[in-house]
Amino acid sequence: MARRKLTRRVRRQLQRGAVVVILLLLLAALIAVFSLDRRVTAQFEGRRWTLPARVYAQPIDLYVGQTLSAERLGFELDRLGYLALRAANRPGTYRRRGQRVEVYVRAFRFSDELQPARLLKLGFEGDRIAALVDATGVDIPVYRLDPLLIGSIFPVHGEDRIVVSPDQVPAMLPEALKAVEDRKFDQHHGVNFSAILRALFANVRAGQVEQGGSTLTQQLVKNYFLDSRRTLRRKIEEAVMAVILEARFEKADIMNAYINEIYLGQDGQRAVHGFGLASQFYFGKPLSELELHEVALMVAIVRGPSYYDPRRHPERALERRNLVLKLLAGQGVIAVDDARSASARPLGITEPSRQGTGYYPAFLDLVRRQLRADYKEEDLTEAGLVVFSTLDPLLQNRAERALTAELERLEKSGRKGAKGLEGVIVATSPQTGEVTAIVGGRQASFDGFNRALDARRPIGSLAKPMVYLAALETGEYSPVSYLADEPVEVKLPNGDTWRPANFTKEVNGPVPMVRALTQSLNLATVNLGLEVGLERVADTYAQLGLEKKPNAYPSMLLGAANLTPLEVAQMYNTLANGGFRSRLRAVRAVLDEQNKPLKAPELEVEQVADADAIYVLDRMLIEVMNRGTGRPARKDLSQNLVVAGKTGTSNDYRDSWFAGFSGSHLLIVWVGHDDNSPTGLTGSTGALAAWSRLMGSIDTSSFEPLMPESLENRWVDYFTGEETSPYCSGVALSLPFPVDAPLPPSTICPPYSDEGDWPMIQPWAEPTDPRASPSQQDAIISKPET
Amino acid sequence: MNLLRASLYLCGLVLVGCASSPFETESVGTARDKPQAPGEGPTVTTPPVITGPTPEAEPSVEVPMPLPPPRERPRAPPATLSPASKALVSQAQGQRKRGDLPGAAVSLDRALRIEPNNPLLWIELGRLRMDQGNFPQAEGMGRKALSMSIGDDGTQAQAWQLIGESFRARGRNTQAEEALARARELAPL
Repeated sequence: MARRKLTRRVRRQLQRGAVVVILLLLLAALIAVFSLDRRVTAQFEGRRWTLPARVYAQPIDLYVGQTLSAERLGFELDRLGYLALRAANRPGTYRRRGQRVEVYVRAFRFSDELQPARLLKLGFEGDRIAALVDATGVDIPVYRLDPLLIGSIFPVHGEDRIVVSPDQVPAMLPEALKAVEDRKFDQHHGVNFSAILRALFANVRAGQVEQGGSTLTQQLVKNYFLDSRRTLRRKIEEAVMAVILEARFEKADIMNAYINEIYLGQDGQRAVHGFGLASQFYFGKPLSELELHEVALMVAIVRGPSYYDPRRHPERALERRNLVLKLLAGQGVIAVDDARSASARPLGITEPSRQGTGYYPAFLDLVRRQLRADYKEEDLTEAGLVVFSTLDPLLQNRAERALTAELERLEKSGRKGAKGLEGVIVATSPQTGEVTAIVGGRQASFDGFNRALDARRPIGSLAKPMVYLAALETGEYSPVSYLADEPVEVKLPNGDTWRPANFTKEVNGPVPMVRALTQSLNLATVNLGLEVGLERVADTYAQLGLEKKPNAYPSMLLGAANLTPLEVAQMYNTLANGGFRSRLRAVRAVLDEQNKPLKAPELEVEQVADADAIYVLDRMLIEVMNRGTGRPARKDLSQNLVVAGKTGTSNDYRDSWFAGFSGSHLLIVWVGHDDNSPTGLTGSTGALAAWSRLMGSIDTSSFEPLMPESLENRWVDYFTGEETSPYCSGVALSLPFPVDAPLPPSTICPPYSDEGDWPMIQPWAEPTDPRASPSQQDAIISKPET
Repeated sequence: MNLLRASLYLCGLVLVGCASSPFETESVGTARDKPQAPGEGPTVTTPPVITGPTPEAEPSVEVPMPLPPPRERPRAPPATLSPASKALVSQAQGQRKRGDLPGAAVSLDRALRIEPNNPLLWIELGRLRMDQGNFPQAEGMGRKALSMSIGDDGTQAQAWQLIGESFRARGRNTQAEEALARARELAPL
């Protein structure tokens, strides 16, 4: 009896204990659910994806007179993902028929205004726009195409995305997602138990985890809140969170979040998230413009972005895309005929080089560094900034091609030291200081080391214009001032003696300044620099825009200063800009997520060099191209194009430089080895070839600065510096001098010659010195330099 | 070496003699040609070399010497805007009036990409910099416009006006007066 009583008591106590335990467990679960709920709700409600700054190239402005052929426009539109149709009937489409183009320009939010979508009709004459009207025939003075998206500033190994709102999503996409991934999406409460059971059964049969019964909501939860570990606990957490999400939010919200969240591919270190970016990444156009076969491919990719990568595994991707289309037709989402015709279409993905996302790493690096002056790293990688850059994609592509082609040509030449050459091109727009292209090496990509910005190399003879400018600014020199091209010894502070030599080891005696610069004579330059003063020359570097003044060592006169290509570009930009310094900039404007303009570097100009001195120097730099070390470039340039520039070669041929400009482009080229081993190339034989290939392939204008009123042109003899007649074939050179400057007249060919039918002299006619021996004449043309 | 020294001496002499401002060169002298693009080929008249003192330094009372014809300053046609940049400039002016200075900067940036050598655009940008309170840059834009409008008095006057105003805004009144006087001189009312 007592025993029975005891067992009953025990049982009752046990029951009570069980109830307490269950209650406790429930409480714990409740607390867990409650905290999950708080987390899910808070995170989802205030949902802000971390949005990397999006960087755009400069837009193409359409206006009458613009140099742009119908063919070129077609190419640009293709690259922007415009669809060529028989009629341009919606934004993002165009029609081209011979010299006429109709384009329905997309709406785009620029930094100054929302430019609406608009149908434009263009007529072309040759390679120019001759007419630009709207649909009703009214003249449009100027209109911008939407700019090319060139990349994002995302954290290392980070997510990148373009967030889209529901109205930017083609209606087909959610339908297709539901049909393929989650048929019961509209009915279930976050978890689809029958699907899980089905998946479980399939997995048991397969003996491993193969099929997921996850709803779209669960997939979203997994992507958004959790990491990718597959444990039972994760699964339960995921299910609970999915239910909470469904209880708290509308289906439409969940679908939109899914569309913006889901992982859809990998682009190097960048994870492509959301359909908005994926559409740009795979098709090079906005999500709203995707067609059925493209939508189907995206839905196909969801299941396995790596396995079904359409670029690496096109057959797999195609097979799955067509399966998706079949599924859609089977469920009545689309008509069977539509599915069939869509299945016949190719994948339609863009070439990686043309899709324009993240393929300008050297340039993007500069954008990022310039923005870092005003913004925190997190602002750039998370705050959804929109950055309008100065990149000219056409110039960038041409520059990449020119450099690759030249380096390959040099390698094939079998020259010693030509194997594994690297190179850099920096292009700017001289008048505004905008950086329009940067090629950082043969491979567009790089691992942190950006040669254009970080490789510091001796600039060789690129230093000479600084010496001559310093001299001209004293007011005591003219282009025919005699410089002593004679041996010189300089005692250095460390006790050594510096004995520079000319490249040819020759000594020319007194030479006019113009010839010394044109032929890049070392001795004449060193003597001039010592006469002018090393400090003064070093100051000129800073004056032209170098941030850190170089050490005023004698060897600086011949280019011992180590500079990056970008620094060289900054200094030469001032030479190309008539002595006006404009801080080089890669960013034009920045908008925040609400389209409010933020701080960005502004166009600046400051006159930093004497107008007369810079004009005289620039005219002599034109002679470098016409008859000096830059002459080999002429064969690639149109006859009437006036350009100016300077070659540079460092000791033992380690670095080959060329810095030169037309009226609208400054191009800096460096060629060398990363390990600094000799290349066997001079500035003329290496960098100049890439420079002229590029300059010759772009639409550019002559360098024709206006002559200051205090100067006038006079004809002088290149070899003697005496005033001569323009008809003195080969030696006569027109150069600027102070008005009424007394110049000694030439005795051999005096300035007062009769006007007769003398042949016109091309400015780049080979100089022939009647006094020079044939071998010397030869040397003038082919003489390489240091 | 003698030759070298002699030529250096001569050059120095000349440079000292011509160190005056470019705007005071409207003095008497010889006619000169001024091809803008280097190497345009020979011109018809070759200027005579003047080895002695300049003409005005030779006051001759008794024997009237025929004075050389006055040197003409080369004239440039007044700068004008292309239709595209005109549209952008008026857009920028509207934006400035509304106080949308960043917007105006974008419009002028666009125009400058179309016509980087048009001094009128640099003057517009200088006026915008005045609105932005960036007076040194307003001066910079004015000077850039000057370098692009040599021989075009009307445009030069506008540029000097801008430079003068930028000086005045910085309290540099003497320089402001000088610049504004130049503007008046170039474009008398």
